[in-house]
Amino acid sequence: MRPGKGAVALLLVIALISASRLEAADRRGVVGELSGRVKHLIPAILIGDPGVAPQAVPGADAQGPSVNPARLDQPAALERQLRTALRRPIDATRLTVVGGAARLGHYSVGSAETLHGHIVVLEGDVDIHGRVEGNIVALDGDIIVHPGASVIGDVLAIGGHVREAGGNISGSVQSLEAVPIAPALSTAALPVVIARRAAGFVGVFLVLLTLGFGLVTFGRPNLEIVSDTVMHSFGRSFVVGLLGEVLILPTFGMLIVGLVLTVAGALLVPFGIVVYSLLAIVAVLGGVLAVAHAMGETITRRRMAQGLRVSPNAYRYLLTGLLALGVTWLAWVAFGWVPIAGGLILSAAAISTWFVGTVGFGAALLSRGGVREHFAGRIVPPELLTDEYLWATPQFGVPAVKRPAKELEE
Amino acid sequence: MTLRRGTLLFAVVALATPSLGAQTMRAFSASRPTKGERMLRATLDFGAGRVVVQPALPGTLYRATVRYDAERSAPVHEYNPRTAILRLGIEAVGGGGVRVTSRAQLDQTGRFEFSPDIPLSFNANFGAADVTIDLGGTTLVDVAVQSGATRSSLAFSRPTKGECRRASFTVGASELDVRQLANAGCETIQIEGGVGRATLGFEGAWRRNASVAVALSMGTLTLRVPRGVGLQITAGRFLTSLDVAGLTRSGNVWSTAGFASAPRKLTIELKTSMAGVNVEWID
Repeated sequence: MRPGKGAVALLLVIALISASRLEAADRRGVVGELSGRVKHLIPAILIGDPGVAPQAVPGADAQGPSVNPARLDQPAALERQLRTALRRPIDATRLTVVGGAARLGHYSVGSAETLHGHIVVLEGDVDIHGRVEGNIVALDGDIIVHPGASVIGDVLAIGGHVREAGGNISGSVQSLEAVPIAPALSTAALPVVIARRAAGFVGVFLVLLTLGFGLVTFGRPNLEIVSDTVMHSFGRSFVVGLLGEVLILPTFGMLIVGLVLTVAGALLVPFGIVVYSLLAIVAVLGGVLAVAHAMGETITRRRMAQGLRVSPNAYRYLLTGLLALGVTWLAWVAFGWVPIAGGLILSAAAISTWFVGTVGFGAALLSRGGVREHFAGRIVPPELLTDEYLWATPQFGVPAVKRPAKELEE
Repeated sequence: MTLRRGTLLFAVVALATPSLGAQTMRAFSASRPTKGERMLRATLDFGAGRVVVQPALPGTLYRATVRYDAERSAPVHEYNPRTAILRLGIEAVGGGGVRVTSRAQLDQTGRFEFSPDIPLSFNANFGAADVTIDLGGTTLVDVAVQSGATRSSLAFSRPTKGECRRASFTVGASELDVRQLANAGCETIQIEGGVGRATLGFEGAWRRNASVAVALSMGTLTLRVPRGVGLQITAGRFLTSLDVAGLTRSGNVWSTAGFASAPRKLTIELKTSMAGVNVEWID
């Protein structure tokens, strides 16, 4: 017979022998008793872990840990006291029990025994077959009151259960569930979390990129005016965006009320709601894309100034700007799981995104959706902005001042 | 080499990562067998969550099963066998009183059972809780329920055994639904309410005449009264609508015909402001 099968057979035999001694207990008690014994036999036989060796806990000195189990009204507080008293190695634990004694590991009271005083058992089950005149507390263990046993007092199982297997408990029966061990983020789960966040990031990025490319293709003049407004009136755009965010709901309310008050307008309420919502979304999204465009343009021009030869076009600006905007979110994807730092990165990403959205929204409002050039830094009328004119006729700076008077007269 | 160090650092940090904000809900249970007690004075405090109160099995003095948010609350269980005073429930950690600080607190649950045979004086305080109480079949002496922003449903599904002296319900911005009050057999019933809706149903087995005092502001009160019961309402009201079909008015008093000779009498004293009071007759 292989050792593994032998151990299982031995386990079953012991469990059956134990069960035969529980005739007086009710069916539920037998099942609970068996499961309890099997639970403790498995580590002992198969894993080779005998648990904590049963032993008495020496009393602590005057300044050491002390508990009084005479009143079990505050189980959570008592648990804190007991866990604080536990030491590693376990043999180093010291605890004074007022009016009783403390034990480590499994503890049993024989059927012929009568104990006077409280019992505190740490890291082990308490099997009562005899009589206990006092309160019983078990930390990380069950309290089993067997047939014929009696407890003249209260019982409390912290991190375990009280099993009344046919015995009698005169006082209160309490059990406090063990502190649930939260599932720590395992190394196996971590890549999944990062991959899930990365997929979300890529999805949002691709959607914005698609919208941006569509905007460049079909609404490039408007996008460039909003983008120029961001660059030339940055502070003003932020303030206007902030005001816009504050006023967006009151304005919506006024619009609806105004429509409702007019008989004909009441019919347009659904239309008004849809149009207003769409306009707000377009303004915010378009504004964000315009900010990305402005950022991309700035970055590209700086790189060109450093001698890098790239093609300066709106598509490149948008792609570069969106990548720049996504840097903080990428950092969150990679390190968002780190305690505290992850939260800080997420906050930074959220705040920077809100800031960009506010500036873009403000620029979109200032430029009336890319129609008005007043804040875009374009002083020269657009009809004059031909390549020939700009090439031949300097409008600004030193070249303009140095233009010959004759040319000016002509 | 640098890549290897980076990988090592990543692995170390990953392994050292603590739990990610998991809730710490814990279960607590307490019970006690009866030992010839003459009385049980129970006080129940439950800040936030769902609460059920009902009679226990014979032989059990009380039983409490609580699931609570261990980060913000702690279970309460105090019983003094000499005075028969019992305190159950959950309390905020740090003594901050009833304060809902997280959604987890609303996930808390409590089930409390009291002996059907021992005379019971029941006092309950609820915060933001969803409360269902059935004290039918208990030996009720008196009951007082104070609730804040809650939905409280209180019923007496079976006639109580004791001589109930007084029932008192104080509600804040909440909904109170009391059914089968006749089964409680309480001598006097007091309702105090703020903004909310209260329904008092007097269904059940009538054992004695009942006297009800209602003080309500900015709420709606519905009185469900069985036909055949003599009803008299004395109303001191301010900006209150009174819908009392089938009653005859005499000054501030509305009465059913033949009230004086009715076998069972229900006397209601109303003090309401900016409220609505309806009387529904049930067969």
